[in-house]
Amino acid sequence: MGVSAVALAALLGWGIVVALDLVSGPQALLSRPLVAGTVAGLIAGDVEAGLRVGMLLELFALDVLPVGASRYPDYGPATVAAVAVVAGLPWQERLGLAILLALPLAFLGGVGMQWLRHANARAVQDRVAAVAAADRRAITALHYGGLLRDAGRGAALTALGLAIALPLRGVTLPARVPPLLLAAAVGSGLAAVVNGALRSTGWGARAKWLAAGLGLGAILAVASGAWR
Amino acid sequence: MKGELRALLRLYYVQAAWNYERMLGIGMGFAAGPLLEELRVADPSRHAEAVARSADFFNANPNLAGLALGALARAEHDRVPGSAVARLRTALSGPLGALGDRLFWAGVVPALSGLALAGVALGMGWRAALVLVLVYGVIRALTARWALATGWAEGMQVGAAIAKSWLPRSAERAGVVAGFCVGLAIPLVATWLLRGAGREPALMAPAVALAGLTLARLGGPHHTALRFGVGVLVLGLLAGVLGS
Repeated sequence: MGVSAVALAALLGWGIVVALDLVSGPQALLSRPLVAGTVAGLIAGDVEAGLRVGMLLELFALDVLPVGASRYPDYGPATVAAVAVVAGLPWQERLGLAILLALPLAFLGGVGMQWLRHANARAVQDRVAAVAAADRRAITALHYGGLLRDAGRGAALTALGLAIALPLRGVTLPARVPPLLLAAAVGSGLAAVVNGALRSTGWGARAKWLAAGLGLGAILAVASGAWR
Repeated sequence: MKGELRALLRLYYVQAAWNYERMLGIGMGFAAGPLLEELRVADPSRHAEAVARSADFFNANPNLAGLALGALARAEHDRVPGSAVARLRTALSGPLGALGDRLFWAGVVPALSGLALAGVALGMGWRAALVLVLVYGVIRALTARWALATGWAEGMQVGAAIAKSWLPRSAERAGVVAGFCVGLAIPLVATWLLRGAGREPALMAPAVALAGLTLARLGGPHHTALRFGVGVLVLGLLAGVLGS
């Protein structure tokens, strides 16, 4: 099963929305991999692929604190592109490959974010006199200009991701590759989420709550039969 | 407060022109427009000063920026001297950034994300993602409305009002809740992702996780999870191709 042109256009549009959501707005958690992946899966006609990609990349995103001027990966468009690798295909064979595409793309998204912030600063410098003179049109123009530049960043990132994702769907992998990639992807995702949680809680009293959550999660995993 | 709804809506995009020079400044200037509108007729020269000041440097967590926006707009309406308004703006930057980051980025967001991940693993499917967005949307909308209203009501006294409010306590507790919820999700997600993947990934993934965690904890800030992930995936690809 392929990805139709309509679905590709919709994925590109969704990639722009989630790229904007990371910082520019509305910051409604649409850029979280779980949400971005689920909707991308719905668009591509394979919700389970979207959920699997989203779940796995959400583990990496939980290691990130998107604060202030720091550079952090943009997992939204990367998730959308990764779903395009897996949709309609056996996830056991494609999920690791999709994550191999998504991680560098997320890094590139972070680099693009730095470029955007410098470009916005240059735009402000160009209109600094008008802003100082209380020209509200200049403030409005700077605001929408930033939004437009970020949309362009999202479009470029998603288009690049989809352009790589589509050929990857047709690649025949040697039999040993998919299980190794899957182990690497899940293992590094788990390392990311545990590291992020430990960094937030530290080793003091808060760590007890993390341990309690881990314990309850393990019990639920056994009780629900998810481990089988 | 005239222009409240328009200011609230603009706060959702307060970071659209985020830059290294003024950070949230331009977005705050854009959001302040509707709140300063009345001044334009009542006191045009003060309005011009207020508009120019509103786009100066400012930084805060976007979810709490409304506190500053309301307080600064109220101070302009109260004809507080410009130098005092500028000092308030500077004084609010640090606390609103630290409180908001702890409450939202290190608390509410990971807590809800952890619950949503657990929800998917326990069979909620796509509904878990929908609930995540809806619950966060409600929390955020209520916080934004409270922040703008409190800032406007308190004006120059907003600092004291923040200290007495629910914010500092909630920021402290949110991290604990987040730790529990993320902890809850980890075993569920691990088993859900590896179920049906075959014996080899199920055996190898924990070893990879342990290696990645050790490197992240001991290797310093450059050993990020993302870099480790790319490295180990490339190694896996090479090993798979060469071993076939």
